[in-house]
Amino acid sequence: MASETQTSTTWFGSTEEVGRLRGRVFKWTCLGATVLTLFLMLVFLLYVANDALRPLSADPSWLATMGVTVVLPVVLLAGYYYRRDRSAGEVAYTALGLPIFVALVSGGLWLLFRHIVSPQEWFVLAASILVAGGLVTAHSRVRHDAAVERLVVTVVVPLLAVVGVPTVLPSLRDLLSLSPVLPNALFSLVIAFTLPIAAVVGWRVRAVRDADRDGAIAAGITVAGGLAGVVVGPVFGVHPTSWLVFASPIVGALVLYVEHVVRNDEGVSGLAFPIVVAAGIFVGLTAAQTLGFAGPDTWLDMQFLTSSTSTTPADAGIYPALVGSVLIMIVIVLSAFPVGIGAAVYLEEYARSQGRLGTVIELIQVNISNLAGVPSIVYGVLGLAIFINLIGMGRGTAVVAGFTVGLLILPIVIISTQEAIRAVPDSRRQASYAMGATKWQTVRNVVLPESLAGIFTGTILALGRAIGETAPLLMIGVSASVRVSPDSFLSRTGAMPRQILSWSTQITTEFRYGVLAAGVVTLLVVLLTMNAAAIVLRNRTQRTQ
Amino acid sequence: MNGEPALTRAAADRDVKEKMVGVLLFACAALTIFVTASILFTLAYDTITFFGFEETTVVDFLTGLEWEPRNGHYGVWPLVSSTLVVTVVSALVAIPIGTAAAVYLSEYASPKVRSVIKPSLEILAGIPTVVYGYLALVYLTPWLRDIGLPLGTFNLFSASIMVGILIVPMVSSLSEDAMSAVPDSLRQAGYGLGATKYEVSTGIVIPAAVSGIFSSYILALSRAIGETMIVVMAGGLRTSLFDPFDPFGSLAGSGRTMTASMVNAVTSDATGGSPEYYSMFAIGLSLFVITFLMNLASNRIAARYREEYQ
Repeated sequence: MASETQTSTTWFGSTEEVGRLRGRVFKWTCLGATVLTLFLMLVFLLYVANDALRPLSADPSWLATMGVTVVLPVVLLAGYYYRRDRSAGEVAYTALGLPIFVALVSGGLWLLFRHIVSPQEWFVLAASILVAGGLVTAHSRVRHDAAVERLVVTVVVPLLAVVGVPTVLPSLRDLLSLSPVLPNALFSLVIAFTLPIAAVVGWRVRAVRDADRDGAIAAGITVAGGLAGVVVGPVFGVHPTSWLVFASPIVGALVLYVEHVVRNDEGVSGLAFPIVVAAGIFVGLTAAQTLGFAGPDTWLDMQFLTSSTSTTPADAGIYPALVGSVLIMIVIVLSAFPVGIGAAVYLEEYARSQGRLGTVIELIQVNISNLAGVPSIVYGVLGLAIFINLIGMGRGTAVVAGFTVGLLILPIVIISTQEAIRAVPDSRRQASYAMGATKWQTVRNVVLPESLAGIFTGTILALGRAIGETAPLLMIGVSASVRVSPDSFLSRTGAMPRQILSWSTQITTEFRYGVLAAGVVTLLVVLLTMNAAAIVLRNRTQRTQ
Repeated sequence: MNGEPALTRAAADRDVKEKMVGVLLFACAALTIFVTASILFTLAYDTITFFGFEETTVVDFLTGLEWEPRNGHYGVWPLVSSTLVVTVVSALVAIPIGTAAAVYLSEYASPKVRSVIKPSLEILAGIPTVVYGYLALVYLTPWLRDIGLPLGTFNLFSASIMVGILIVPMVSSLSEDAMSAVPDSLRQAGYGLGATKYEVSTGIVIPAAVSGIFSSYILALSRAIGETMIVVMAGGLRTSLFDPFDPFGSLAGSGRTMTASMVNAVTSDATGGSPEYYSMFAIGLSLFVITFLMNLASNRIAARYREEYQ
């Protein structure tokens, strides 16, 4: 063989020494490049946080108190989890993060109840939906085989109940709201908000533990947590209704999570972490107050979160813009998400790859990935041209903003949902078909429930992208600074990123390094909480698959 | 009894329902085509309105070197040159850093390091551009001035660097995907021939993944071209034509990109029917066409030049 004669002379290693140095330099350069961006952004964000919170403006003894009561126990506990019990560490950050994430969602609902739908209106709405649901269920029992009729009933009955026929037939909701006896705000929310949450929690616990009593206990704890505000609220100066809106979902979520951890019996000691953090903050603040230590003079305080913008930096706040952002997000959730998920289901489950329709499907698929790369400002122009100039909807309203940004994130929602659906193993579908299920039954009962976590992850990330978008809002005329919170989806609104932009044109130091930093931190806290929740959820589902 | 007909009717009924659901879902998917079509249509329609004004012609728009709506000059080149400056400088920042990060993550990083760095980069990619713009304006520009660079309050230099930082995660994650997709057998073959890790990375993995890497560059550049908030906040609005004989002078000063000009057209007091207002649609159309072609090219490159591995 030829190679035998060549071995001694032309083996690559013999003529040239293996350079270790070059390889090392390359490796460290690559690592340096990776860390550089992260490090730079970390420095930037630390500067922003420092400007917004100004921790060093506090009394040194205040810092020392908080250090002893909060930081020290947290560090010790984290060290313990890291050395001894990794799974407890995971439980620890989830148990701390979960209530924060749920509190964020409840905050959005609280703003909704305060400005858009009053508790009584919500009660009436929930009651009409309940009646409509009852009618639909009753119909499906009585006329079991009439599938088309059921589809029509499922669409028409809720519409009649909630919207009615304008000027011809009042909806059930209108009729109910005329009723002379309606429960007051607190009771409306207990019935139409806390009880449904408690029912879901109880039903879920009952299903996984297979015990009626446990389900009832879980539901009971949730209701009790919501109602505790009547007694405890006044002590902290919190209105019972506000307590209810925040406490019911938080307690409900915690009950579900604690039950999950206890049932799996893994890392139970991690549940102590949030208690230690909360108790530390409470003790620290009380101690500092009684001893008279002054806290930091932060820009990001309750005053900032609850007041509207102003020309004097000390009075400026982000509240109306916050309300606006919540409204825009609600519009997106109700419009872009169903369409995006529907499109993804079609492309993954229904679309055929052959024939003329196959070509269309391929075109749609290419088009979606291209739409994901269209600059956001172009969507702004589209929104301006279609929704405002063509259809004639109001400039800068929450609906227009939500639709415009919704179109922007639609491709992202579709692509991430497709990935989630694709991850469902084919054997599940085959099993469903083998039981005689139709395509839609398979999608509804097998594919969607299996891919739910993945869809959630993708949609939360997309929503995070949506709240930060600014350029489209500029094009459709969202107000630079609103002093009054919007009171409906059709009134002119502001938005957090838009408010940040208009503060950035102020040149005084207090605005640049104070109010603006506080606004940015508010936006980032909302966004990073959402993204972190999505990433944790994804890691968890990836592990189980 | 009439059980049989009832059963067949139920089956037929179910078929109709299945069809209706299918059509509904197809409508959702088809909406995306409608979105593209309406972007094209509305932009084209109002661009025609723009060129219908006396002071504007297509030739002037495409060849003019002055953008002064007050004096009736609508030459797009100052805007295009600023956009190109931002794109090139941000690419100079993002491409080396992003590629190196991708090589590290794909070839060198241990699973533990990856599990920290990848989500961090992802979170970085989730930070809104208005925040990046704020960082460039309020922190980066003063810092760069402190170290002695003669920058204006609004300047293209720090805006470009920020855009570069913004697109690093995009380059690194897409390139890393391409590199991770290179099958291990190729690497093993390299090691079997006595290659070092460095030689395997640069001589085998990068060439094998080059189509994916290039397509990530194109996508990132198209993102940089369409970036709006950073250049509006930190880059300013003064229109200036890039001066090739004084490149740093052009970078150190304010400059209005295409996107910034669109923002200016709606937020300034340009009245609704004026040519300046409609100029935004013409610029928007150019922007849409450029980025759409780039994205298409990126997809094509990724698909056509991909080495097929099993």
